[in-house]
Amino acid sequence: MKTLAIYSNKGGVGKTAAAVNLSYIAASKGRKTLICDLDPQSSATYYFRVKPKIKAGVQGFLKGGQKVYKSVKGTDYENLDLLPADFSHRKLDVSFNRFNRSKNRLKKIIAPFKSEYDLIVFDCPASISVLAENILDTVDCTLVPLIPTTLSVRTHNQLLSLCKKKNFDPGNIYLFFSMVDGRKKLHHDLMNAMAGKFQGVLPVVIPYLSVIEKMGIYREPVAAFSPGSPATRAYEALWHKLEKILFFYS
Amino acid sequence: MSLFMRNNLKFNLPGDHSERELIRALARQYTLKKQSDFTEQQAFYDTFDWRLFNESLVLFTSGNRLSLRELNNNNPIESIGIKSVPVFAKDFPKGSLRDRLSSVIKMRALLELVALSSGSTPYHVLNSDEKIVARLFFEKIQLAHEKDPKEIAAYLWLKPVKGYLKYSRDLTKRLEESGLTPARNEDLFSIAMEAAGKNPGGYSAKLNISLNPKMPANEATKIILRFLLQIIKINATDIEHDRDTEFLHDFRIAIRRTRSALSQIKGVFPKETTERFKKDFSFIGKLSNDLRDQDVYLLNEDAYKSMLPLVLRDDINPLFDYLRKERSKSFRRVVTSLKSGKYRKIIQDWESFLNVPHQAAAIEPSAGLPIIDFASKIIFKQYRRVLKSGNRILENIEDEMLHRLRITCKKLRYLIEFFSCLYSRKEIKSVIRQLKKLQDNLGDFNDLSVQEEYLLAMAQNLPLTRRHSKNTLVAIGSLIEKLDTKKQTIRKNFAKTFNNFSSTQNQKLFLELFVLKRKKAGL
Repeated sequence: MKTLAIYSNKGGVGKTAAAVNLSYIAASKGRKTLICDLDPQSSATYYFRVKPKIKAGVQGFLKGGQKVYKSVKGTDYENLDLLPADFSHRKLDVSFNRFNRSKNRLKKIIAPFKSEYDLIVFDCPASISVLAENILDTVDCTLVPLIPTTLSVRTHNQLLSLCKKKNFDPGNIYLFFSMVDGRKKLHHDLMNAMAGKFQGVLPVVIPYLSVIEKMGIYREPVAAFSPGSPATRAYEALWHKLEKILFFYS
Repeated sequence: MSLFMRNNLKFNLPGDHSERELIRALARQYTLKKQSDFTEQQAFYDTFDWRLFNESLVLFTSGNRLSLRELNNNNPIESIGIKSVPVFAKDFPKGSLRDRLSSVIKMRALLELVALSSGSTPYHVLNSDEKIVARLFFEKIQLAHEKDPKEIAAYLWLKPVKGYLKYSRDLTKRLEESGLTPARNEDLFSIAMEAAGKNPGGYSAKLNISLNPKMPANEATKIILRFLLQIIKINATDIEHDRDTEFLHDFRIAIRRTRSALSQIKGVFPKETTERFKKDFSFIGKLSNDLRDQDVYLLNEDAYKSMLPLVLRDDINPLFDYLRKERSKSFRRVVTSLKSGKYRKIIQDWESFLNVPHQAAAIEPSAGLPIIDFASKIIFKQYRRVLKSGNRILENIEDEMLHRLRITCKKLRYLIEFFSCLYSRKEIKSVIRQLKKLQDNLGDFNDLSVQEEYLLAMAQNLPLTRRHSKNTLVAIGSLIEKLDTKKQTIRKNFAKTFNNFSSTQNQKLFLELFVLKRKKAGL
């Protein structure tokens, strides 16, 4: 089993859209996939038409075991299951701190899924906290969407300094450009600059497309309701790179 | 439907069911959304002699997947994607499915038993968020390739969705209330076989004869011979399709058994009849000697190659190319001869002879004896012959004598098998086990001797025109040396093997079964 986190400490960068579509594409290629919605806003859960509720709330989640296992829902797609978010996930950070060895908690929670899934995808909330440390420490690969803006450079630098401080391997962090407006010269200039500055920038660009926003109307992954679209093709290209990183290189 | 079988619930749809009514009734409580229909082809495979079925295995294709499962269990043990269905185990891609299959079917070809076509209409059951919470499939299964296809089974499948089991439980209740019953655990394989008029396990080359111990000897002998004739006829028609080597093999064994019965079960039929058919079956046997030899060498191609040093492995290829050419010539000859008037006349005459009711007052000396007494007598006599010649060989081992002992043993084995139903199964089994050990030793020795001679003769006959011809001769030489080393080991083992066979304990076993028990019965 491999684990992938879609993470950014900045909000509104296309994390959930990436998590939902990458999970869907991985599953459609035959990999048994679980998408884990850790964001109390529960957007990924909403996209799959599942009610945001897990058994025994955040306490149950943190204890792991049967309660978490039984909260898993089958999505409408073959090979793809969802662990829904719960509104109580807003307290996830505070609650993590209460456990001993809180930094290893997430590893324990996902242990029962090891034999059942080929891939677990975490859709993470925008924050830089104990939960973020748990994620960075647990997953095989962290994928960070970057909008080509100066603020994104700043927040990514924050993440890199956290890694340095906590001794996490920044080699497991990969970046891709998200919500890119091909007409803006600024976007092109910043992408070139960032590709030179940061390690692990994947040569895939997810453009800013209204079809991606329509996911909220259809409540389905773009790849499901608009299979041939440029957005779907971009996510497929992204999955192609990630699959190599997760399953073939390591 | 095989894709969705795991953890699913299956209901029988009675012949007069109406999909529309059922859906209308369910739609009062649930939001249902019909999906597009799809059809799937399925087919079942086995060897001619049901080797998979006899091991309770079912090999089937579904769409473009080929899977192996146990009978009455829908979860495949092995499954692979395929473009076309392999015929022999060696044609499968390397892996656990191939290993599993080749240990069961060995050299036999896979034949399609029956093809099915399954048409499905799926429905999604949705909740208020329009999320799928369960799936329903109406499935109708028909025999494929039929002009007027008859429905052989119809099911309604309920596929639960993880995390929404409440809906499936509720649906199950509704379906049962509407009169549907959960499908019995009946295997689709059995249903399809019955519909196609096939009888799984119906053919076996093994002797399966039932005789009444008090039956007169001539009548019992005819029953045995009629059984053998069936095997001859069944296989003879299939030899020409050349699907695998075992049709001919089973045919030849039945011919040999017939000859053995004619010459060993003496004094039950008129002498001139026996003499005539002995000659006729000897003629039929000889027709395919070359073909069988070539089959055996070609079947063992890989085994022979693995005996050779790596540098010589490819050099032996001209030998096998030559054998393949010769084999196709022999094959055509055999097919022609099996269609010849002479062959057909022999079989016809033989069949009429076997079907004539036996005369009450037969004049042949043993014709009227109760078969149990007659069989016990000739089996024990043959057994004594084996002991006598074996003991003589122990004093001085000669290849020719080993060869003759092998034939004596084979005659004994055939006799015991003809009449095995007259004796206790357990004891016959242990008698055959002991005899088989000796036969294996003698058989291996003989095979190796014959192979040596055959390879030598091949070396003379091979048209060696190519540059590497000399290497081919070296390879054949190397092979003969390997075979000879093996042969010497087996020869050395003869004494030990025979001493085991003729141990006091085993002698008692034969004596008890074929002599003393008869005496106790008051004879």
